[in-house]
Amino acid sequence: MPALSRLALVPVPLGNDGTEFPASHLGKALTIKGSLETTGVVHIYGNVHGQITADRLVIGVGGYVEGDIVANDVRIGGRFTGRIYARHVTLDGSAEITGRIFHHTVTVAKGARIDGRMPWRPLNFFERLEHLREAQ
Amino acid sequence: MNMFTRNDKSFDTNAASTTPVRDKTETPVAPIAETKRTSPPAPPTYEIATPQTRVVSVISKALKITGQLESTEDIQVDGEVDGDVRGVSVKIGGNAKVKGTVYGDTVELAGTIDGKIEAKKVILTSTAHMSGDVVHQDIRIESGAYIDGHCRPEFGKAANKNAHAAAKPAAVVPTGSVRDKTGPVAEIGTRA
Repeated sequence: MPALSRLALVPVPLGNDGTEFPASHLGKALTIKGSLETTGVVHIYGNVHGQITADRLVIGVGGYVEGDIVANDVRIGGRFTGRIYARHVTLDGSAEITGRIFHHTVTVAKGARIDGRMPWRPLNFFERLEHLREAQ
Repeated sequence: MNMFTRNDKSFDTNAASTTPVRDKTETPVAPIAETKRTSPPAPPTYEIATPQTRVVSVISKALKITGQLESTEDIQVDGEVDGDVRGVSVKIGGNAKVKGTVYGDTVELAGTIDGKIEAKKVILTSTAHMSGDVVHQDIRIESGAYIDGHCRPEFGKAANKNAHAAAKPAAVVPTGSVRDKTGPVAEIGTRA
């Protein structure tokens, strides 16, 4: 429950010391092979192959991600292949998705292309997931 | 039919009379609150512009990457990277940690590298902590920098040719970063 309320209103996630983390920005020329882990915001306009754990993830138009995503909030305007585990998912009209989207709430804009399933899960499913990722 | 038209009319008049008032007094939050009970899935904070406009990619301090980064543009690392970093102009910020090799045209280090630097131009600022070798063509070390390793002026020479094949094309191009020789250094220096 605290996780949900935090998600709902806090605009930028805070670190342990209470300071704001600036968003990470992966430009379109950047390619990452490996896993990303953050408690903050990530904007991806380049290519990422691997697992991503974040509070909030944005795959911008032109961005491509292949792998699993665990996040509170995901917004996709680019291409994605893999699995998403997120409480809130927003797919823009330019999104192209292949795979599964485990979500609690989802928004899909007109024009988005989705090849796969979008299973709904209760909120506690995602809480368990968080423990799981911390244990890794 | 009658009912529909009547409804439409009354709605229209309603809307016409109320909207100007609402626009004045209330923010666009109100309609969202009406339609959606739960939290809005896409807060406007999404479209945050990056703080530095010149730096193309930023790995912020909360981000940890395990794996390889490769870019044909500039990279600023303020977080943690466990793996190699390839870029044109690579800046490793004051609190950043990199475990692996950093390749680039220009590499500026204010944080920690445990590995190797291979770059045409290397700048170690006063807060730099470098454990490992530095292969360079041109190096600047500020007072206070820590180096545990060899500095070899062999960048671009035959022995290294294969090692950084991907970094080579960038190295051939005349350094675009010369123009901001003072800029980024001062920036990192003040932050430290």
